[in-house]
Amino acid sequence: MTQPFIDTILEEAISWIESDKQVVLATVVQTWGSSPFQIGSKMIIDEKGNFLGSVSGGCVETSVIAQCVELIKNKNSFKKIDFKVSDENAWSVGLACGGEMTVFLEQIN
Amino acid sequence: MKIEILKKIIKKKSSDEQFAVLTNLSNGSSEIYKIGIPLSNNFINYKNDIENYYNLKKSGVINNTEILIQNYIKPIKVIIIGAVHITQYLIKFLKNLNFDVTVVDPREYFTTKQKFQNIKIINKWPEEFFKNIQTNSNTALITLSHDPKIDEPALKHALKKKFFYIGALGSKKTHKNRCKRLKDEGFNDKEIDSIHGPIGIKLGGKSAPEIALSIVAQLVSETNKYKNL
Repeated sequence: MTQPFIDTILEEAISWIESDKQVVLATVVQTWGSSPFQIGSKMIIDEKGNFLGSVSGGCVETSVIAQCVELIKNKNSFKKIDFKVSDENAWSVGLACGGEMTVFLEQIN
Repeated sequence: MKIEILKKIIKKKSSDEQFAVLTNLSNGSSEIYKIGIPLSNNFINYKNDIENYYNLKKSGVINNTEILIQNYIKPIKVIIIGAVHITQYLIKFLKNLNFDVTVVDPREYFTTKQKFQNIKIINKWPEEFFKNIQTNSNTALITLSHDPKIDEPALKHALKKKFFYIGALGSKKTHKNRCKRLKDEGFNDKEIDSIHGPIGIKLGGKSAPEIALSIVAQLVSETNKYKNL
């Protein structure tokens, strides 16, 4: 029952920019299998790695944040990242639930 | 995404109509779309698909393309009759679930600002309130005042306008009497049976927040059924 109309993450993004932060918007754009979050779920990240909102149940956030910080550092404007089922290597990022998802990162400028 | 587009999205959210945000994932460009508004060169080749997704209110990447469409749909309207204790808890649940909540109670002393912050409170009798508001099958009604004088005009309105969810607080006995009065007024059994009374799913709780939870659980379940039709 989450519809983005009342969601205030975009308003927060504006207020971050107004306080001179660099902001990347991360959006879930595709999901397969048992991904926990639905398409359109959003998170904002600044150049220091501060974040608000969520794109999964916590499984891929760390990686998304790191890649957003990288995006700002490299002055890239957008990037698409695919997350697959986690493999046996406990250190890798993945969706323990067995789902797959694509997250789109875009810098707001 | 350009900050101007972001500001436009925020502005659009305060309007009453559906709109969509299109993003071309291969070049990062975005624009706002509504039926009838011409598409830019970034999206014009996908016109039919975009219209289809828009009409189905579906969000996602269009098959075999790099075009993302995110539909923004007005939240479902929930009208609560009665600014009672349960209402305070109910509002919190409903807000977290992104429902658009309005509380109606003609008894002004019930609706003090301290109790109901950031919520639309209308101090009117239901008959008067419904005259000035658009309602349809996309609306839900929850009556909590216990007072037939206040609750029943709202129930009658909701039945006539075929709200997708109608729930009325009250014991089995109260509800039986209520149904009898509605039948006398000319409503048929099918209509009367569509009222959830006593309201809520069985949780076994008696406290105000527990009752609020049982109501909201029933509303969400009915909303999901309705949306998947």
